[in-house]
Amino acid sequence: MPAAAHDTPISVTGLVKTFGRTRALDGLDLTVRAGEVHGFLGPNGAGKSTTIRVLLGLLRADSGTAVLLGGDPWRDATELHRRLAYVPGDVTLWPNLSGGEVIDLLGRMRGGLNQKRRTELLERFELDPKKKGRAYSKGNRQKVGLIAALASDAELLILDEPTSGLDPLMEEVFQECIREERRNGRTVLLSSHILSEVEALCERVTIIRNGVAVESGSLDEMRHLTLTSIDAELAAPPRGLSDLPFVHDVEVDGNRVRFDVVTDRLDEVLRRLTESGVRSLASHPPTLEQLFLRHYQDELPAQDAEKVDAER
Amino acid sequence: MTTSTREHPSTERARPRPAGGGTTGAGALLRFLLRRERRALPCWLYGIVFLFGYQSLGSQKLYDTPQDLADLRRTMGDNTAVIAMSGPPRLLETIGGEVLFEILTYVAIVVALMNMFLVGRNTRTEEETGRAELIRSARVGRRAPVVAALYLALTANVITGVLLFVTGVATGLPAGGSLLVGAAMTAYGLLFAALTAAVVQVFEGVRAAYGVVTAVLGAAYVLRAIGDVGNGALSWASPIGWAQRTFPYSENRWWPLLFPLLAAAVLTVAAFALLERRDFAAGLLPPRPGRAAASPSLGTPTGLAWRLQRWTLVAWAAGVLLMGLAFGSMVDSTEEFVADNPKVADVLGGGANLIDSFLALAFVINALLAAAFGVVSTLRLRAEETSGRAEPILATGVSRSSWLSGHLTVPLGGTAVMMVATGFGTGIGYALAVSDAGQIPRMTVMALAYLPAVWLFVGLAALCLGWAPRLAAVVAWALVGYSTFIAMFADAIDLPDWTGKISPLEDAPQLPSDDFSAVPVLALTAVAAALLAGGYLGLRRRDVGP
Repeated sequence: MPAAAHDTPISVTGLVKTFGRTRALDGLDLTVRAGEVHGFLGPNGAGKSTTIRVLLGLLRADSGTAVLLGGDPWRDATELHRRLAYVPGDVTLWPNLSGGEVIDLLGRMRGGLNQKRRTELLERFELDPKKKGRAYSKGNRQKVGLIAALASDAELLILDEPTSGLDPLMEEVFQECIREERRNGRTVLLSSHILSEVEALCERVTIIRNGVAVESGSLDEMRHLTLTSIDAELAAPPRGLSDLPFVHDVEVDGNRVRFDVVTDRLDEVLRRLTESGVRSLASHPPTLEQLFLRHYQDELPAQDAEKVDAER
Repeated sequence: MTTSTREHPSTERARPRPAGGGTTGAGALLRFLLRRERRALPCWLYGIVFLFGYQSLGSQKLYDTPQDLADLRRTMGDNTAVIAMSGPPRLLETIGGEVLFEILTYVAIVVALMNMFLVGRNTRTEEETGRAELIRSARVGRRAPVVAALYLALTANVITGVLLFVTGVATGLPAGGSLLVGAAMTAYGLLFAALTAAVVQVFEGVRAAYGVVTAVLGAAYVLRAIGDVGNGALSWASPIGWAQRTFPYSENRWWPLLFPLLAAAVLTVAAFALLERRDFAAGLLPPRPGRAAASPSLGTPTGLAWRLQRWTLVAWAAGVLLMGLAFGSMVDSTEEFVADNPKVADVLGGGANLIDSFLALAFVINALLAAAFGVVSTLRLRAEETSGRAEPILATGVSRSSWLSGHLTVPLGGTAVMMVATGFGTGIGYALAVSDAGQIPRMTVMALAYLPAVWLFVGLAALCLGWAPRLAAVVAWALVGYSTFIAMFADAIDLPDWTGKISPLEDAPQLPSDDFSAVPVLALTAVAAALLAGGYLGLRRRDVGP
């Protein structure tokens, strides 16, 4: 086993997967470090689930390399799966099996589950294990999948939008559980659409779009590379702001000005503002949502991003 | 102010009833259902026409003189097993009655199942899948889906009646009697449509409702059988009995049709009354809770596969056991009446030993049923994959090979169970008919000789799952359909020899008509094994997922 496997349970480079003419993954890179909760973000159809299916050995990549827990996810699938637990984004159950039966079934197939944790998780997630699969709501089906995964002793959790359909209280329980997992040293790959969840749980995130990773790093790092919104009231109308290449979307309304600025060029902008005299100033650091939308939205924001890159 | 207050109640009365409890939208829904069933419904109708028409032509060819019919009446009239299978010997007074004696029970079973599926699929299944929720959120009344499904069934049953009438007349049976046959099946079909409509209100799952309706159908068959063998009283408690006791072509009694029509009316009223007492998607009976923890056997792909399909297998095995029992018990009268009627000998292939030819045909028919179960059961694997249920399992320590193996134990083992049941049932029927208990082990062993041929169907389905999963259902069912065609018509229409060889069942030694020979049995086993191995190879290479 390569030494690197200890620090990077998941290491993907240049992954390509095509379905007919569709290029679902187009040279994707993804690195998840041991012991971290890694956010995996991207719009619908970006290739998140395809990546996860390649990692689980369900799909065979056309090219590129994927190393999972030091092994080949396609060739060594069975051995690797004993060390991980997976929750799909849409848990489907057998209509005639109860939730408790499914939890036990998946646990046993993985090689055993922790009975004490199973009981505890059933209680925390307030799930009735006696109900039949057909009777569960969407949220309760997700709970079945989550409990089956969390009650295992797997070292790696692969969660594909696991909380879709959970109510806010259960979302809170889920976040607590993931924090506990992190304290216990487990690694988590969390694909999600819920930005607050990712902000609350993840140290590092990878944003993918059209099958390519467009951004990867810690949330702090990323904030620096994005735009901060400034809303200022000045003594006189501002001058020359629009000429600065790292300032965007300038709106001037008399003495009042609103604009976005690349975060690590704040100094220069503030200097320029003080020349006109500042009466009031509000600054909004970028939210993950903005970070996200930059990559979600088509053409225009993409060009913006390029401009920012050019400025770096 | 005062005026408007006084006027208020009258405007209220003039307003149409709110959509919630009404039947608003039923017409649009009916059009949608007719469109939705435009492929499945004709298949049922073809089947019904085929059963009746084929029997009508066959019987009129076999018993073309009054003397033939009288001989038949004499032999059949004393045979308890045949009466239990078919109906009252009083039907045998006319050739039309003879046709009904042979086929009406089967037509009745098909008509009942058609109605059960038409109503069940378009009411409870729609609620179970959540599709009905979308429809009901539009301007569609609470009763509209049931009303539309019942009108759909009414349409199907009226067409069935007309087709039976036309088929009867076209094949040369008297018009008056044929009209009554059609009317009887229309009324009888409506009864099962209304029954299903009422039962689906009670259970949350459509499978439970199907279980109850099928049980009623089984009870109707058994009551009729006991009644027809005895003094006939119990036959009057059976919907099939009501249909038979119209005695078309002889007495032409119309009044027994009042029973199914009345029952249908009562059940329809009951269905709507029950509908008012339940919530959407809920049943009247609370669903039985499941186990809080899995039993020790549920922890492997094999355990899961048997858990999911055990009751399906029990039902199929019970079916072939009863079929075997029926075929076996007919042996006695076959011999007698073949002696009276040499034309029957031609139909059975004219072999030296007619009983053996008859039994071989019976085994082939049951082997086709076993093959159908094998295909259904193997294709479940595809449903597991497309529904997304396979994914979490394959993300555990379960390898693709063990996932496939676990599931294949059901079609492979289940078909073995079915062939044993076939042989055992045939053996018991035969043993009772000729008072020779030794037939039970003999028939059981002989039925098993067909098993490798049945496994070949499973192998083909598995091979397709491995390499061309989207085509698996079409290819596997095509072989079942083709083999059925060959089994039923190959002798009648003089096809070249090689066409029969494509059907695996024709390649197996036709016991007890042929002698046992190991070569074809071993060859079939080898081909089945090779197909299965190909399936493993394909599944290990391809992408898995919805």
